[in-house]
Amino acid sequence: MLDLPGRSRPYLRRAYSVADARNDSGEVEFLLRRVGAGTALLEEIPPGTLAGLLGPLGNGFSLDGLVPGNRVAIVAGGIGAAPFPLLFEALRRSGLDADFFLGGRNAEDLSLAKRFAGIVPGETVLASDDGSAGERGFVTEVFNRRAAPGRYARLFACGPMPMFAALARIVAEIGLPSEFSTEAAMGCGFGACLGCVIPGREKPFLVSCTEGPILAPERIRW
Amino acid sequence: MTPLAVKLGPLELKNPILTASGTFGYGLEFTDFVDLGKLGGICTKGLSLRPHAGNIPPRICETPSGMLNAIGLQNVGVKAFLAEKLPRLRELGATVIPNVWGDLEEDYVAVVRALEEAQGLAAIELNISCPNVEKGGMLFGNSPQATESLVAKVRAATRRPLIVKLSPNAPDLVQSARAARDGGADVLSLVNTFVGMAIDPETAKPRLSFGTGGLSGPAIRPLAVRMVFQVARALPGVPLMGIGGISDLPDVLEFLAAGASAVQVGTANFREPGVSGRLVEELAAYCAGRGEPVSELVGRAQRAAAPVLKSGAQG
Repeated sequence: MLDLPGRSRPYLRRAYSVADARNDSGEVEFLLRRVGAGTALLEEIPPGTLAGLLGPLGNGFSLDGLVPGNRVAIVAGGIGAAPFPLLFEALRRSGLDADFFLGGRNAEDLSLAKRFAGIVPGETVLASDDGSAGERGFVTEVFNRRAAPGRYARLFACGPMPMFAALARIVAEIGLPSEFSTEAAMGCGFGACLGCVIPGREKPFLVSCTEGPILAPERIRW
Repeated sequence: MTPLAVKLGPLELKNPILTASGTFGYGLEFTDFVDLGKLGGICTKGLSLRPHAGNIPPRICETPSGMLNAIGLQNVGVKAFLAEKLPRLRELGATVIPNVWGDLEEDYVAVVRALEEAQGLAAIELNISCPNVEKGGMLFGNSPQATESLVAKVRAATRRPLIVKLSPNAPDLVQSARAARDGGADVLSLVNTFVGMAIDPETAKPRLSFGTGGLSGPAIRPLAVRMVFQVARALPGVPLMGIGGISDLPDVLEFLAAGASAVQVGTANFREPGVSGRLVEELAAYCAGRGEPVSELVGRAQRAAAPVLKSGAQG
């Protein structure tokens, strides 16, 4: 959860995935796309501005049970790619291969792919709604064409809820264990406001910030 | 009494900084940020007889200097609270004030009865003012008759100090306050959230799935200060807790000056989870600097050049 001291608007912190973090330099990287007042403010601050950080919060992707030589799929919708640089690093260290499926509305959205140049231990596949870059179509369709049963040992995904809904059907069909990094408007980030709930199967609602944000799709009520 | 101690009728608190129901979970979510034992009190998430799932998302959205919420009183239910939350809160030395709601009068009474057997509760706060449920909640708060009847029934079910949390959406807040007092409330807390709405200009859909939500945060502070001032003026003997957009020490002092004997910090807990503990320290330093106990700060605006509040000044 990030905020800037001394500002009165926006009032609440905003939740972002950590894209990368370096112990040696103490740097933490976030990938942002301007969508509202919170991101606009962060985009406009000059370098050197002091920001407040509350975190890390919530759970992380799991590589448990994967063994060197396994291949995983990573599916990202637009700025949903934000948490993946750190994951690619972890995959590489664990000797795992990964194909990266990045979708967006157009070529401009897909300029994000630059951040991933050279860090994907496998193939990078781009998809755009308008066909201006990569393959034409939703990233879920592009993934589905390549996702034969048994090809991948696990799927990691991050993006908007409609993308997750489509992806949940695909991974259920091919029996692919998956972890979705869910997105919901968060008021606090530590389980107090209960604003960021996601409809669940084992109970009415899962609290994204404390029980997630990473959830198995079969726990979500679509 | 220590300089920060306050007495609100039968309710004695170590200091006047509490946390508001619905903004502080069950307290245990905040142990990384605040020493719970340091606070004047913790008003829990609203408790019902049975666990309650709450509203479908989206439940919150930010608005200018505040937020709208329609959580819908999601809670674990009074039994789970007593079994799983209260023992830990007591270990931490917290002053615990369960907030109670229900659909019907008998639901409120049943929750209060269940709490009555428990040890280590400082008071009960009655929520008759939640705008985000279909039944109960604000429906009780919006009618003085319903308020008085409910408060009287709960009064008969508890020996503990009884706080009634008023709705700013009631047609006449002073009448509501009087009804709660006449029903047997020891303390009034005001205010709950204001019914509001936000609409996405592109899709023309409400931003919250419930349609409307409760507005909180600094945006409502002047409204809440006026209401505290007004009720303090109309009912001088009734101890009040002020609530509404408190984020910093001057906000606390403002509510005390208006006539509140204590305050509840709400939405600010989300943006700065340690804010309540910080305010206790800052208030202590402020009182030490003035060389006066905090009780001297209560109602200063009432004593000062009293502005005339006409009865029509309510809208």
